[in-house]
Amino acid sequence: MNAAARRRDKGWWLGVPGIGWLGMFLVLPLLAVFAVSFLTRGEYGGYGLPLTIENYRRLAGWGELGFDPLYPVILGRSLALGFGTAVLCFLLAVPLTFFIAGLGERRRLVALTLVMIPFWTNLLVRTYAWQLLLGPSSWLSEAAAAAGFISAGEGLYPSWSAVAIGMVADFLPFFALPLFASVEKLDWTLAEAAADLGANRWQVFRHAVWPQIRPGAVTGFVLVFLPATGQFVIPDLLGGAKTALLGNAIQQQFGQSRDWPFGAAMACVGLVIMGAGLFIQRRINRLKEAGL
Amino acid sequence: MKRSSWFNSTVAWLVYAFLYAPIAVVVVFSFNAARSGIEWRGATLDWYRRLFANEQVQSALKVSLIVAVTSTALAAGLGTTLALALEKHMRRGREVVNGLLAVPVFVPDIVLAVALLLFFGLMREWFRVFELGLVTIIAGHVTFQIPFVAMVVRARLAGMDPALDEAARDLGATPRQVFRHVTLPLLMPGIVAGAMLAFTLSLDDFVVSFFSGGPGSTTLPVYIYSSVKRGVTPEIHALSTLLMAVSVVATVVAMMLQRRDVR
Amino acid sequence: MRKSGWLSLFLAAMAVVQAGAAQQLRLFIWSEYIDPAIVKQFEAQFDCKVTIDLYEEAESMLAKVQGGGVSLYDVVVPPDHLVKAMVALNLLAPLRHENVPNLKNLDARFANPPYDRGNKFTAAYQWGTVGVFYRAEPGVKVAESWSLLFDATKQMKPFGLIDSQRDLLGAALKFKGHSLNSTDPMQLREARDLVLEAKKRSTSFDGSVAAKNKVVAKGLKAGIVYSGEAARGMTDDKATRYFIPKEGSQIWQDNLAVLAKAPNRDLAEKFINFMLDARVGAQLSKFTQFATPNAEARKLLGPEELSNPAIYPPASVMEKLEFLEDLGAKSRLYDEVWIQIKTR
Repeated sequence: MNAAARRRDKGWWLGVPGIGWLGMFLVLPLLAVFAVSFLTRGEYGGYGLPLTIENYRRLAGWGELGFDPLYPVILGRSLALGFGTAVLCFLLAVPLTFFIAGLGERRRLVALTLVMIPFWTNLLVRTYAWQLLLGPSSWLSEAAAAAGFISAGEGLYPSWSAVAIGMVADFLPFFALPLFASVEKLDWTLAEAAADLGANRWQVFRHAVWPQIRPGAVTGFVLVFLPATGQFVIPDLLGGAKTALLGNAIQQQFGQSRDWPFGAAMACVGLVIMGAGLFIQRRINRLKEAGL
Repeated sequence: MKRSSWFNSTVAWLVYAFLYAPIAVVVVFSFNAARSGIEWRGATLDWYRRLFANEQVQSALKVSLIVAVTSTALAAGLGTTLALALEKHMRRGREVVNGLLAVPVFVPDIVLAVALLLFFGLMREWFRVFELGLVTIIAGHVTFQIPFVAMVVRARLAGMDPALDEAARDLGATPRQVFRHVTLPLLMPGIVAGAMLAFTLSLDDFVVSFFSGGPGSTTLPVYIYSSVKRGVTPEIHALSTLLMAVSVVATVVAMMLQRRDVR
Repeated sequence: MRKSGWLSLFLAAMAVVQAGAAQQLRLFIWSEYIDPAIVKQFEAQFDCKVTIDLYEEAESMLAKVQGGGVSLYDVVVPPDHLVKAMVALNLLAPLRHENVPNLKNLDARFANPPYDRGNKFTAAYQWGTVGVFYRAEPGVKVAESWSLLFDATKQMKPFGLIDSQRDLLGAALKFKGHSLNSTDPMQLREARDLVLEAKKRSTSFDGSVAAKNKVVAKGLKAGIVYSGEAARGMTDDKATRYFIPKEGSQIWQDNLAVLAKAPNRDLAEKFINFMLDARVGAQLSKFTQFATPNAEARKLLGPEELSNPAIYPPASVMEKLEFLEDLGAKSRLYDEVWIQIKTR
């Protein structure tokens, strides 16, 4: 056993190129972001010393024209969008995965592939397609106007609802796939036993089904929530470039506003959120493995 | 709570319609004779023809392909070796590397893109390397491709029967021979599947390419974005349809390869 | 081994392809701003290949150059108000006048501009105005004023706002009767609130080209557009119109400039000289439908262009136009206001 273990560990050098690459093109850039977030913007853009926490103060709301909860609001909005998208995806993914799990072996593979395919097609293309589907003269918009949701002549795009639709359409496969991994392994006998004992449908779900699919749901939630919070393409294209979220705001700093240190600070906030999300997900799954 | 209740089926079908509506719209309107708007005016292949005559599109296509092929090749190599190291060799440090691999997957792509932009800027100032262009785009792509390749290859490795390795070694083969003649051939479908996924990721990437691009290194998605910002044209529908077709084919092939048994 | 073998072969092939290519000129320019035929003529005459990258608004161009470095492109096309900043940031290379003899073709009004005395770094490219482009409805009289966008009682919905900091804030400042170079925080706050209020009623933020395309495609009824785009839009669709609002607006001048570490400085200067040629200048203006600052080129233009008030406004309108100026350190105020506008 010892010889085999030693033989196994000897091959670690194989990982060096991969880790080296990630070290250089992932770790170093992220460190660069962290570092730049403490620098000052030059007069016309660019950046340099002195070191300052001004950027973080601005993010917390203390800007040049007095206190303005602008950025905390943007951050809150982004988190809300990410959260809302994840919840909507969850609500749609549960019936979807249950349906797929109930199919025969071959159909199941087809069904899964069909869920995967949109995920692998270009996000830009799918997003601008929603512009067409939700524009003022589309059927959906006309139906919505007839039903009184929006005024006549207006479209469902651009608007927050369009952004929500685009987000859910994009992120649903992210949720469905990990969730399905758990749903596939569901032990239905528990559910049947609970039903036999007289539990109603909601109780059956809560006590017999949910604990089993929780790991998949949590993974899916994190997989959707984190990237969704930082999205900028979908809000940009479907929100008419009017709505500003974390992703747009970062893009703005590195584009028109040319305030790199400030943009870096925002990106760091994004990183912190990501780290927190991953940490929580790991904790929940580890608790699950421990049988809690 | 039944699995295949009518509620689940209805929602499922609606979801499929929802997921495919945008794709269908683009495909259908790539054949629409109307220049703009969404009234149907008869079928035509005009937009496809004009697409092939468009120099900017050709240039963007060339760039996208060069980037995708190069980055996929690099990522395949780096991801596979990393997967092998993780699965078969590293006991310690595995958690850390797992965490490292998770970062490009979970981090919002814009954070990764600006991080790379800043990094390249600093490298340019201090060492005069990394002018924005093909090299920087490829570097960025490889970074987010590696975790996907590694994931697919690891799954494949995990499903491989260790007895085969042992048997080969018992028969007197050196570790290198074992690798070349037993492990690698069995691993190949996994590597190719990972490569196809990486290829699709690169072809479809927008955010990293947008920030890391330089002169003459506009990729197809970046070109599509600029065009959409200026006002969508049917040529873009045609281009998008073709782009989606390629992604679909690559994905389906990848999935089929993954499902092949390790015999 | 197989994989690395293919890779090195591939990289070698790429290197060969790069080296074998003829001389290259990298141009960074606004979209729809140069005639492809002119580009081809240049390529043929000087045996080179021109690579063109596009941008939709000026500040993005500056961001890209600042972020990507001064050897990213050869020729860029900065507007008047950004030239001083670019010079201060050492982004531009001085023009060697011996290589650009056609500078003499420029009209006295546009040569030797206040932001670049002696044409040390730039040569005028095109000039134009900012105004409102809209779709006319028969029988509906339209007040030629910014109130079409900024006044809820007179608005023309659906409309778009221009996705460009100085252009939009300038329009708001003019509507309120201030200078579009104001650095008074009170006035800027007024402008900001005006835009924020209009933003709620607007459909989207669009660049000039996008707005023009949307009005022609009937996605918008009105938008803020540059004069040349508007002129082209009116040629495409006879039902559209352009006006310069009576409260006043912006006149701008775009310039050709060479980046500080341009990979091909000689070719860049040849390109600028080429663009300043009388015939090329006339062809350019016929294509872009913007006004030419080139006196010799103007002699070659016909009455269709010269009598078009959208392209060449009459003297009474010219009086109400203001050039944007570079505001130095005070531009921070505008940046701050713009962020607030975009992110609320």
